[in-house]
Amino acid sequence: MIRLSIVLGLTCFALLAISALAGTAPLSLGETFAALTGHGNEGVRTIVWEIRLPRAVAAFSVGAALGLAGAAMQGLLQNPLAEPGVLGVSAFASLGAVVAIYFGLAGAGTLGVPIAAILFSLVAVAVLMIAAGRGANSVTLLLVGIGLSSFAGALMALALNLAPNPWSLADLINWMLGSVANRSWTDIGMMTPAWAAGAVAIFLSAPGLRALTLGDEIAATLGVDPVRTRWLVVAGTSLLAGASVAVAGTIGFVGIVAPHLMRPLVKHDPARLLLTSALLAGALLLGADLVARLLPFQQELKLGVAAALFGAPVFIWIAARIGSLGR
Amino acid sequence: MIRIDNASVRLGGKPVLQEVGFAAGAGEFVALTGPNGAGKSTLLKLACGLIAPEAGAVELGGKSVAAIPYAARAALVSWLPQVRPAAWNLSAEDVVALGLGPGTRSAFAALGAAERTRVQAALDRMEAAHLAGRGIQTLSGGEAARVHMARVLVSPAPVLLLDEPVAALDIEHQLSLMDVLAEEARAGRTVVAAIHDLSLAARFCSRVAVLQGGRKVADGAPNEALSDAILESVFRVRRASEGTFVRIA
Repeated sequence: MIRLSIVLGLTCFALLAISALAGTAPLSLGETFAALTGHGNEGVRTIVWEIRLPRAVAAFSVGAALGLAGAAMQGLLQNPLAEPGVLGVSAFASLGAVVAIYFGLAGAGTLGVPIAAILFSLVAVAVLMIAAGRGANSVTLLLVGIGLSSFAGALMALALNLAPNPWSLADLINWMLGSVANRSWTDIGMMTPAWAAGAVAIFLSAPGLRALTLGDEIAATLGVDPVRTRWLVVAGTSLLAGASVAVAGTIGFVGIVAPHLMRPLVKHDPARLLLTSALLAGALLLGADLVARLLPFQQELKLGVAAALFGAPVFIWIAARIGSLGR
Repeated sequence: MIRIDNASVRLGGKPVLQEVGFAAGAGEFVALTGPNGAGKSTLLKLACGLIAPEAGAVELGGKSVAAIPYAARAALVSWLPQVRPAAWNLSAEDVVALGLGPGTRSAFAALGAAERTRVQAALDRMEAAHLAGRGIQTLSGGEAARVHMARVLVSPAPVLLLDEPVAALDIEHQLSLMDVLAEEARAGRTVVAAIHDLSLAARFCSRVAVLQGGRKVADGAPNEALSDAILESVFRVRRASEGTFVRIA
């Protein structure tokens, strides 16, 4: 797993470097390198340091956070289809952000948005845990997730109707489709504590997630406190998904694709799956954003759309395979 | 090591155990038997603290089981349930390593050399060393059962609570598992196993406890507990010859 993590880490680093290099403004390798080390002219430095790098770091961080949250939710619920986007957690976080902005609880760019997003995702995760605690199977859980997503969508529309200072539909679409364009270091800096705390909570739950492979009861006899594991994952996924949505809006399926691809490479171990899924998801979103930026469309492809275009078919494929296994 | 006093348990409103007392000490190999639905599995779950009694007390090593933290409980008792789920296709070796106890394995690194040796030894005792690298979901029912049993054996716990450990095993592995469990008891462990096969129980166990309808109706040396009267009233069979039984018409 250490070698795998190093390879994934290097891949992310390479993609970050490419992100700094590539873009609509044609900068040469030399100019970019000079700008990275703090030399070169002012304009180039601004493009590299203030436009391309924050965007790339945001794409990586959001991807890594969603990959980690997905891997942890899958481990806790013992279900390979669990993920913040699929289970409605991201939709609730978006709702939180929209409510905060539209009702003037916070101007964009202050802590009100992330806090609302995190709190709303906590509500969604809590509802899912209650459903799971009543012995819900995969199908029930997914249906609850679909319900949560639709409910969040309806409430967002309602918020739009009732908001005292209604913004344009375009803003709502921004939240629902997801993008990391024009993000600043301030945006990223504000989310870093939430991401870090969420990641710590998830990594602390790792031994518990591994033991949960054998089900809740056996795990309890293996020395795992089921309540502690559950709360660590609930808190961790809420922080990770909430902060990610506050930065980038709803980006689905990364949290499902990355763990699915990594699982055979870590011998299906839910503990070792965590870091590797986070790194792969970071790389995937960074790559997807790079593609979205460079595709010669009139309007830039939204990152959430790019993620869904690739992720949704994988989701359907995993779901169909599980169905055929009779689970 | 285990002491259950006057315990009653209700599951979904239905009484499953009623005023049951049961104790087992170091070196004992106790068979827990009785017809389906007699409360054997519930008694085992009660003993490892997975369910709390409605009335009565459950003690492990002299302490109330509910007061023992999860990690300390795992160091005292190792449990093999009747249903053994595996959500992910972990390798057999990793499944067994889960039994090593909390804190013996780093969450992210590979298995250490010392732990790997213990895991291999446990798999060896279950004649499952060749399955170490196989995914648990790809094993046959009997093979998986042996891997799960190795997970229980590798634990440092002095008490083993086993729910139908020989079910799904072929005759050779049934006999070798019973030998292993008798050895464990001789080495000082407390072994309590729910077993339906009365001949196996009578042959290998030092004691047999019989449950019926949530109550304990016999507890003692195998030939006492499995007397003709108990066989007839509880199991509705009679002994035909050594080790064989026929239904009472």
